[in-house]
Parts: sequence; C-alpha cells; structure tokens
Amino acid sequence: MKRIMQRSYLILIVSIAFFLGVCFLAFRVVTENSTWVQQPYNGHMSSSGGLAQAGSITDRDGTVLAYTDASGVRRYSDDYMTRLALLHVVGDNSLNISTAVQSTYRTELTNYSFIWGLGMPSSLKSSKSLTLTVDAAASTAAYEALGSKKGACVVYNYKTGELLCSTSNLSYDPENPPEITEENEEEYDGVYLDNAISSTFTPGSIFKIVTAASAIDHIPDIYDQTFYCDGEYEIEGSKITCEESHGELSFDEAFSHSCNVAFAQIAQQLGRENLTETAEKLGFNQALYLGDIPLTKSSFDVSKAGDNELAWAGIGQYEDLSNPMHMAILCASIASSGEAVKPYEIKDNESILKKIGLTQNGGNIKMLSVSTSDKVKDLMRNAANYYYNVRGLDLAGLDFCAKTGTAEIGKDKEPNAWFVGFTEDDEHPYAFAAVVAEGGYGISAAASVVQAAISALVYG
Amino acid sequence: MDFQVFLDIATVALRMLLPVYAVFIIYQCFASMRRHRRPEKPLVTLEIKHTGQKIPVLFWENSIGRSRGSDIVIADSTVSRDHCVLLRRAEGWFVSDIGSKSGTFINGKETLVREKVLIDDEITVGTTTMVLKRGDEYNERLRPSWFFSKASDKGSLQPYKLMILITLFHVFMAVEACFSNEVQDLTPLIVAGILETVMWIFFVISSYAFNRVNFELEALGLFLSGIGVMLLVRQELRSAFVQLIAMTIGLILFSFLVKFIENPDRVNSWRMAIMIGAIGLLGINIIFGRVQNGAANWINIGGISVQPSEFVKIAFIFVGAAALDRLQTKRNFIEFIIFSAVCVGALALMGDFGTALIFFATFLLIAFMRSGDFKTVILAVAAAVFAGIMVLKFKPYVANRFAAWGHVWENAQGSAYQQARTLTYTASGGLFGVGTGNGYMKYIFASESDLVFGLVAEELGVIIAFAIAIAIVALAFYSRAITTRSRSTFYSISACCAAGLMVIQTALNVFGATDILPLTGVTLPFISAGGSSIISCWGLLAFIKAADERTYAQKRIQRRAKEDER
Repeated sequence: MKRIMQRSYLILIVSIAFFLGVCFLAFRVVTENSTWVQQPYNGHMSSSGGLAQAGSITDRDGTVLAYTDASGVRRYSDDYMTRLALLHVVGDNSLNISTAVQSTYRTELTNYSFIWGLGMPSSLKSSKSLTLTVDAAASTAAYEALGSKKGACVVYNYKTGELLCSTSNLSYDPENPPEITEENEEEYDGVYLDNAISSTFTPGSIFKIVTAASAIDHIPDIYDQTFYCDGEYEIEGSKITCEESHGELSFDEAFSHSCNVAFAQIAQQLGRENLTETAEKLGFNQALYLGDIPLTKSSFDVSKAGDNELAWAGIGQYEDLSNPMHMAILCASIASSGEAVKPYEIKDNESILKKIGLTQNGGNIKMLSVSTSDKVKDLMRNAANYYYNVRGLDLAGLDFCAKTGTAEIGKDKEPNAWFVGFTEDDEHPYAFAAVVAEGGYGISAAASVVQAAISALVYG
Repeated sequence: MDFQVFLDIATVALRMLLPVYAVFIIYQCFASMRRHRRPEKPLVTLEIKHTGQKIPVLFWENSIGRSRGSDIVIADSTVSRDHCVLLRRAEGWFVSDIGSKSGTFINGKETLVREKVLIDDEITVGTTTMVLKRGDEYNERLRPSWFFSKASDKGSLQPYKLMILITLFHVFMAVEACFSNEVQDLTPLIVAGILETVMWIFFVISSYAFNRVNFELEALGLFLSGIGVMLLVRQELRSAFVQLIAMTIGLILFSFLVKFIENPDRVNSWRMAIMIGAIGLLGINIIFGRVQNGAANWINIGGISVQPSEFVKIAFIFVGAAALDRLQTKRNFIEFIIFSAVCVGALALMGDFGTALIFFATFLLIAFMRSGDFKTVILAVAAAVFAGIMVLKFKPYVANRFAAWGHVWENAQGSAYQQARTLTYTASGGLFGVGTGNGYMKYIFASESDLVFGLVAEELGVIIAFAIAIAIVALAFYSRAITTRSRSTFYSISACCAAGLMVIQTALNVFGATDILPLTGVTLPFISAGGSSIISCWGLLAFIKAADERTYAQKRIQRRAKEDER
C-alpha cells in the first residue's frame, strides 16, 4: 500500500495544477473585471445603457454635458450643437463609441467595484461625477466651423496637458441616436469613430515638419543648400509638382512656401533610414495615449518604397497616415523644447485614475533635441508669419507657429486640408491640429476651424 | 430611513453572510474528516524467527518482498521482489502468493491460493521465516502522518450541527430567492423544505440504520447538491424538482454502493458483469442515441432523458481498482486497458469529447496508480494527442471551439457567446453575488450545466464559486491522505481516482466556461443541473466513503469512544 500511496502523488499534482489554474482565474477576475462587465449585452446595465445610476459629466467650466434625471433617463447637454460637437468625447447610451468617456469610464461613473458587483439595490448605490478638461463652447465653435465636412479638431494646453477642444464629424444627436440599417450604413460610415483620436488621414505638407526635423539632424549643411523649383521635379519618370514655380529657395523658404520640389530632394538626400528614424521619434508607428485611451497609430513605412515613392513619402503622401491628436502632441513637443506633455481629458484625473492604477498619464514624451526643436520652431514661425502676412490669418491676436497641409487623396476627390501648430503665449499655450476631409486647401478650410476654437478659448 | 432602504440593507447583509458561511461549512466538513481516527499502532507484528527483529504491520494489505517499495521489506536474495501479500479481512488475516519464484509456506506447507493465517503461525518466504504476532507486541513509537497528526487536538463539529448549518444555508438561499427582483413568492421555501426533508431522512438513516458516526463526506455532497437545486428554483422550477428527485436517487445509489463494495473480494466476482453491462450501455447509446448539441450522448427512456456515459464513470472506477494481490496480475490490468479503450472510443464515436477526455485522464490516473509506470502514461498521452489531431480534422465543430479559445471578446456575439456571458456575469456578481434568482446568466443556454460556474459566481458571488472549486480539490487531498488507511487497495485506488475524476471534470467545466481552456461542455460535480450527472457524482462519492476505514467499523469506534469516556 506504500507504493500506492507514493503513486497517488500524481493525483496531488493534478490537484495542485487545478489549484494553480484557479489562482490564475482569480487573478484574471481581479485584473480584468471592469472589461468583462462593460459589455453591451450585460443585463445588469440594460436601462439607459446601464447609466441609470451614473454620475454627471461636466466641462471645465461646469457646463453639464450629461446627467441622469430623476426618472433614471440619461440626458445630454441642453444645446443641440454642443451635443453633436462633443458626442465623441462624451458618448451616448450605447457603447458604440468605444473611446468616449461614457464607454471608457463607465465603471467609474456607475461606481462599479468588483467587491460589490452590479447587484447593489439602487437605494444603496452611489455615483461618481466626472469633470472634463474640454471647453464646451470652444468645441462647439470648432464643430460649427467644420460644417458638414468630415474632420476633426483638437486643441490642448501644452504646458498642462489639458485637452481643451475636441470635436469630430460625422456626428449625431445622442438624445436621438440614428438607427443604422443596411440601407443607411453608407451614410453613417465611420460615425462611431472619434476622428480626433481614432482615425488617421494622409498628412500632406504637414509632414514636412518631420522631414525638416530629420534634415536638421542628419544633413549638416542643410541651411547652406539652395533649391531650385520650376514647378515640377521628375524622379524615375514620375513628376512631383508645386502649384507654382518657387524659383531659387533656401531651406527656410522652402518650408514656409511648402515647396514640394525642394522637400522631395531633401527626402532623397535623407534616405529611408534617417527619415524613418525621425518619424518614429516623432511618434509615427508608436503607441500614444489621450489619458488612458490609446490613439490609432500614425503610420510611416518606406521599407518597400522606391526612390520616387520615398520622395512622395517625404512630402506626406505615399502611404503616410497621421492621427490628429498625435499631430497636436507633435506640435506641443516643438513648442516645449522637444518634450510634449501627455494630454488628458478627465480633470480630476489624478485621484480617479491613480486609484484604479491604470493611468498612462503624467510625464512627457521626448521627441526632439532642444536645438532641433528650436530650429523647427523657427521654421514654423516663419511659415506662420507668411500665412499671416500673405493670407491674413489671425488666431485671436496670439503669436503662433504653424504649418498647413493639403493632402491629395485621389483624382476625383478634393484634397484633405490640415492645419497644425501652436500659439506662443504664456497665458494661452495651445497646441492644435485640425483636419477637414476633402476640405480643399489647408489654409482656407482647416485654419478657420482652429481659428474658431481658439477665439472661443481666448474671448469666450 | 424608509422601509425599502432597511429591506435593502438586510438583503445585502444576507448576501455578505452567505460566502462567509459557505467557507465555514466547507472548512468544517474537512476538519471533521480527521476525527475518530484509529491511533497509529501496528495491526499485527511480524517477528523474524532467527534474528528476533520485529516488523510492524501497519496496513490492511501489505506487500512482502525484496524490493524497497514493498510494505514489508525482506533483505533476502531468495525472496522475490514482489513475493506475497499479507492482508486483513473481516474473517482474519490471509497470505496470498503473487507469483514468487520460491513460493510461500505457512507452517511449512506451500500456499497456492489465498490462505488464512493465525497468530503464532509461521510464514516462510525464501529462506526467511516470520511469526505472526499481535499488534501490541511492537512497542516502539510510530510517526503519524501530518494529516492525522493533530486530529485529536480539537474536537470538530458534531454531524447534526453540521447538518443544521447546511440546512440554514439552503434556507437563506430560499429566502433570497423569495425576494428576487422579478418574482416574489414562496415557492423557493417549499423547494427548500422538501430538500431539507430528504437530507434529514438520509442523515437519520445513515446514523441510526447504518450506525455511522461520520457524516462529513455526505454533508459536503448534500451542501453542494442543495446549492444546485436552489439555483434552479428561479431558473426553471421543473428542473429544480427533477434535480431533487435525481439527488434522492443519488443518495440511494450512494448507500447501496457503499454496502455493495463492503467486501472487496465479493466485488471482484462482479467485475466482468459490470464491464459487460457498461459496454452494453454505451452500445445502446450509440445505436439509440439522440443528438444534442453535436453529441449523441443521450438516450430517451419513457420520456426521461438519460446520459449513460455518466453511469459508466462509476463502472470505470470500479473496473480499474483491485485488491493488492490481484493488482499484480497481468490479466486484470489488460482487461482494464481494453475496457478503457472501448469506453473512450465509444464516447468519441458519440461525439462527446469532453467526457471522452475525462475518461482518458482518469484512465491515466488509474493506470499509473496500478503500475507506477511513467512509460505507459507517456505512450498513452502520445496516442491521445494523435487521436486529438484526428478529431480536429474530422469534427470541425470541435475545432471551432478551439478557434474561439482566447479570443472571447472578438467573438462575443458568435462562437464565444457562452464564454463571454460567463465572464461578464462572473464580474457582475462581485464578491458577494447579486442574490439567488437575480442574475441574468440564467437566461443563457446551458447556464445551469456547462456554464454553471458563471451562474454561481453571479448569484452567490465569486467567493462561493471559488470555495466550491476548492472543496472538490480538497476531496482529492483527503482521498490521498487516507490511501494507506483504507481497508484495501481497491478502495484507495478507487477513491483517489474518483476524486481525481471529479477534479478533472471540475477543471474542464470551470476553465472551459471562463476561457482558460476550450469549452468542452462537461458538468460541474454536484452543482450542475442534470439528473444523470448528479446521480453519478453520488456514486463516485461512495468510493471515497468506502475508502475511509471508519465507514465499516462504526460500532467498534463508538464502543471505544464510550470506553474512553468512562
């Protein structure tokens, strides 16, 4: 029987293996419970999308953006335009907009904790309200400026990291969400995506910021070079064109005139490796966050590009894609000596996010060296002066540095318009990015959106 | 404070009480398993004639031989490695030769079959002669095993008190269900009333008709089965009654089996009949099987669905185990291997791969406990992996389950529908649950059987769900601890393997539903709804009960306890 006893250790091993499995399950329950709970089918959350007991959401000035009324119905801002402008930030009853506050912080709003589960009687439940960093008026102004065009606009304070303005179109009214069927799904294509953080667009000329930064780092005599532009430049039988022939240009002038011919040549001088290295330092192909919410990655990949395609990539065409929030972060890094403050959108985020221990917040993202960023800043300041002087662009009277972009996205389509940059003002330190899909030329379409937002922030 | 708030606070307080209470009950069940143990003293002593050395005989069945793994080691080169077995039965002590080279002699006469020995008889193996002496001839102290070491220090709960605790627990569940969110009526209390009546009748019969002092294993089984019944009340009342009836049948089967295997030798003569019966049952299943969810493991007899494979589990353990002197014979082992292959094959043919996997894993446990041979085990695993690959090739719906494995949230509305619901509602329950009858898991298909872990976690809380899983592991620990205290290797092997089977089944159920393993669709022992399943669980518990030497010796222990008091 002794032998049987010894062999029964096998059963002990099986039992211990099972026990370890139970421990693993317990670990998963403890770490992943909030994801598990937040499913659209969860019966415990069915009324008002489980928000019947949720706290209210207000903007930075205390304007109510969402609340639950006495009868347990979830209501949104009183102003129709504000509801549309901040739909993607606040969210609706559904969990369709996965990056919205009501989706990502639903467990906080309803005060869900794994200890008590969802079975608490309503009389004993408490809720938690959230204050956002965004300004409802500025977001609404930007949304109105976007008009019916698809696009997005973000503005954030590059000294504190507070997201001040964020809006995205296509949008809908959360009080009256559309029923999307097979017939109208084309019309509502991408409506659940927050274009400010979850979409990427072809960057066009704003990518010249990256190419310029790379040139400053990797081409020692870049400031001594001159470029000649006669309106077109041929590589391997394909033409890169400018709207006009710029004639003879310095590096500085090439940037402010946004000369494609010059920058195509610079991209060729840089080569794939240098340009990729700078792009990745500046956040392309990298995981970036708004608070806890991951941004859709901007992409830059020239590993399979020919010489001609490399030149196109250097002026923000080819397969380049940019995320608007990422572009604002990139500008913030240039504004603050190469290091961007990470953006966030929940005002009392210190306490709440630290408590759940999931925060990505705090700290800076190092993108450029101090000297490079200062040089890029000078380039962008010159460009801004050029826009100001030539096109009369004004951002609430603040000094600013900026770059426009006009990205070709196909033969029959209007180009995407971009406007990215930052203000140089201690009281109003704003990094911004706006994109208007099929909006035409950057300066007219996208800049007016930023203009509206910043005016609202400064005067509002 | 208005009345509603007061009521809500009371509900929440009750909810918080239940887990604490459940953990206490499970602890008490296991604590009392260590009670009423015979002190660690030799049963008899063997004295080697020419040296005068005394060897304590500790077990009911002892192998004698030259090999170091023997219970009684004789350092004599003329003795075979495994020479003979000295075993105790109700009629006295016996010696049985197990194919030794030089033979075994009692008082100079060679034994060919199992032969009785009396005190002062001489047993000769090789050139060594031993004299059988009484146990108290050996006067050195023995080191007790850890499991029993402190057994007498603390008195644990009296069985009837344990029963009262369990009754209260079920009643609390019923009260919760009476005040459930959707329906408020007193049916849960009626069901609880019937349940408790059945439980107490069983308790009374066990303690007065069978004179059994110990009731902790039955108590644990009743506690778990009762939870299963009470969970069904607000899900489907009819199933709750079916479950109650099945539990009662299970209790009868349990009592019958404990009695039936009382004599480990008589059991052996039934072995072939049970094997043929089990194969016949599976055969009927294959021919008349009804396909349900891709597996044809059901047969319909007069309106009642039965899952024959559940009953075959009992036969399987039965055929696999044997007394020590029969364990060594090749024929016995080969019969078992053939029987296992037929069972696993038949289940695979029906498409019930979850149960086939349980049978196969149990086969490995039994094979290893009998032979101690790792090579056999590894070979069998290799064969199984090969078979598994074939299954995936020819039964694509099994492969689909694998495809969803680990990708629950991408497939939450498709192939991982059930696992996603289980995880969501597990997290929704929190530590203390949402209360019996208040869950949403109960609307999900198979939530009362394959996904019952989610149902328990949601309604009773994660603490109770985990406590149940741990209780089944503890059953395996207990079975293992009493291995050498069993009256025969038949019991120790069957108990360990029955407990092992339950652990494996629990693992497949719990981890399958929660996406740690692929979902195989097996039941959680005692908890899951399903008549055949619960009957078979009680059948398996009978093996563990029988392995406890106290089960068949109650009167003597009672008498001794009374003497001690005096």
